[in-house]
Amino acid sequence: MWNRNRKRESLQLGMVAKALLACLYVGFIGLGYVWNKNQIYRLGDEIKKRESALAALEKRNAMLAAQLAQLKSPGYLEGRNQAYNLGLTAAREGQTIRLWEPTAAWEAQFMASRRTEAQRNLVVRQ
Amino acid sequence: MTVAAQTRRAFVVVGLLAAAFSALGFRLVQLQVLESTELREEVAQIHGQVLHRQGRRGAILDCNGNLLANSQSVNIIAADPSLTQPVAAQMARQLAPLLQMGEADLTEKLSRPGRYVRLKQKVDLDTVQQIKALKLKGICYEDQYTRSYPNGELASHVIGFVDGQHRGVQGLEAVMDTYLNGRSGYELVERDRKGREIRALRNEAIGPRDGLNVTLTIDQVIQHIAETELDKAMQQHHPAAAMIIVSRPKTGEILAMSSRPTFDLTDPGSAPADARRNRCISDVAEPGSTFKVAIIAGALTDGTVSLPDRFDCENGAFIYAGRALHDAHPYGVLSVEEILYHSSNIGAAKVALKMGPSRVYDYIRAFGFGQRTGIALAGEVSGIAHPLAQWTKLSITRIPMGHEIAVTPLQMLMALNTVANGGRLMRPMLVKSVTDEDGKPVMQYQPQLIRQVISPRASILMTSALRKVVTPEGTAPKAAVKGYDVAGKTGTAQKIENGQYVRKYYSSFIGYFPASDPQISILVTLDDPAGGGYYGGTVSGPVFRGVAEKVAPYLGIPPQQIEAESGNLS
Repeated sequence: MWNRNRKRESLQLGMVAKALLACLYVGFIGLGYVWNKNQIYRLGDEIKKRESALAALEKRNAMLAAQLAQLKSPGYLEGRNQAYNLGLTAAREGQTIRLWEPTAAWEAQFMASRRTEAQRNLVVRQ
Repeated sequence: MTVAAQTRRAFVVVGLLAAAFSALGFRLVQLQVLESTELREEVAQIHGQVLHRQGRRGAILDCNGNLLANSQSVNIIAADPSLTQPVAAQMARQLAPLLQMGEADLTEKLSRPGRYVRLKQKVDLDTVQQIKALKLKGICYEDQYTRSYPNGELASHVIGFVDGQHRGVQGLEAVMDTYLNGRSGYELVERDRKGREIRALRNEAIGPRDGLNVTLTIDQVIQHIAETELDKAMQQHHPAAAMIIVSRPKTGEILAMSSRPTFDLTDPGSAPADARRNRCISDVAEPGSTFKVAIIAGALTDGTVSLPDRFDCENGAFIYAGRALHDAHPYGVLSVEEILYHSSNIGAAKVALKMGPSRVYDYIRAFGFGQRTGIALAGEVSGIAHPLAQWTKLSITRIPMGHEIAVTPLQMLMALNTVANGGRLMRPMLVKSVTDEDGKPVMQYQPQLIRQVISPRASILMTSALRKVVTPEGTAPKAAVKGYDVAGKTGTAQKIENGQYVRKYYSSFIGYFPASDPQISILVTLDDPAGGGYYGGTVSGPVFRGVAEKVAPYLGIPPQQIEAESGNLS
């Protein structure tokens, strides 16, 4: 009888522990689900904010591009030049120094002459 | 308590529970199955929303990547008068300077009955930020796109404009609409109690695609130079209209194209339809003496004549088919070269008579007259080149001097480009490439050869003759550009009104430089100049020079004759 009672008590404790574990498990699952959902919503909000910021920046970029184009336009620059009496004009031909561009043929000839000179120096040294 | 009583109680409890669960089950079936469709729609109406997102229209850029047109996001400022009415006057005082509207007008709008009133459209982002900072209740903001043209009137006929729905109406905005137009997207979203989107519940989203960018062959600096010179000519000669085109003869690229009267791209509606017409491609007129270039180039190619061949120019009056043909100045015997640079009508007619009508007509068609050039602009006309069967006996003497034929300024410039380009007729090019938003090319256009019209030898001979046009012996010394070899031709054509020639003129000058290696060609036409002269050489020639003098250093075209310190040309 005594033994039977002991056996019953130990069985009850185990059941309680299991029930507790099950409750905890379910509880954590539930909390995890809520936390996960919360994170999804937060992430959604974050994405939304970034999307709005990106859209705003794109709008601003287009506006600034147009402003820059207007400020760089020849008509505007000419107007400012006149308004401030800057006297800026395009360089005249006499104020321009044009550098001679070597042609491919000239370069080949030049390199060949350099090589010949180097070979001649080598022969002299030997 | 007896077992029977316990059993009865148990049955009651179970029965009640079963009834409760059955009721719940029924409600569940009713909501989820029987009424689900209607309820889903109702929920979707309350929380769901389809948001349409418009793709941004692509930009139009010049050949150096400078912005000529782009789309900007602006806002419509609206109000809910049910909220603004009690504080309308105070609100109007705050908003009036920002919206640049009258206080009284704003107060009236903010006090109107109803729940929606539009205060102002196309409000820029900075102003919206300032209004938002005021934290006014009952003010709302709606997105809107507007087309922006930073250069105002510049190249207005080429760029064109869009309508209220952002669809291209005229110019390249219309022709390239398929590429420029963005693709709309949509999002199926759910909103919370305050109307904010619940991003995590976004069901379906197809993003908008921005339109492609179109890069033109137009150079905004050259366009500005051309338009400035054209405006000066308008002030000086007061013509009814004026046209200018700058191009590269070797590729057919159009660097500048403009006509006057013009219009402001930011407000095209305020200009008359006449001002919105691109006269360079849509107006036809008798070209006058500039047309001699085509006929004599043809004759030189066929070997019918050579430059030293001499023709009797009849001292200014040549009777043919019972009608007299006159020259502006009487000439005796002239060589073909002299016929060109003195611009003798009789000489050109005699060259054509030697060629025969059939060959003359062949060259007219080969140079592209009577056909559209194929430029990427709507509204181009083909001009008038009567078929041989419709020619009268006089036609062979009148067509070489640019009568009985009607051409557009662009056709005439393309014909001159053929002469400058070794006899190769190129298709005029206005669009260089189409790129995506990252600048990657989607389409790239290459110069297109239409056909070889005259021989390279004839092209060289023509250039040598046309160089003399800008000398003191020629008809356009005022078109000469210091330091540069210029080849060109003047044209002064009488206008026809009600089928009669009247004392009104089209004054033209077409030319290219450097003559030995043509980089730039320019056409200038003034319709009925009223400021004194009317000859192409005296009216349009200086405009050509004004443009060439500025364009040459800008493009880094070195002069052929270096200016000596004394000021003389070596």
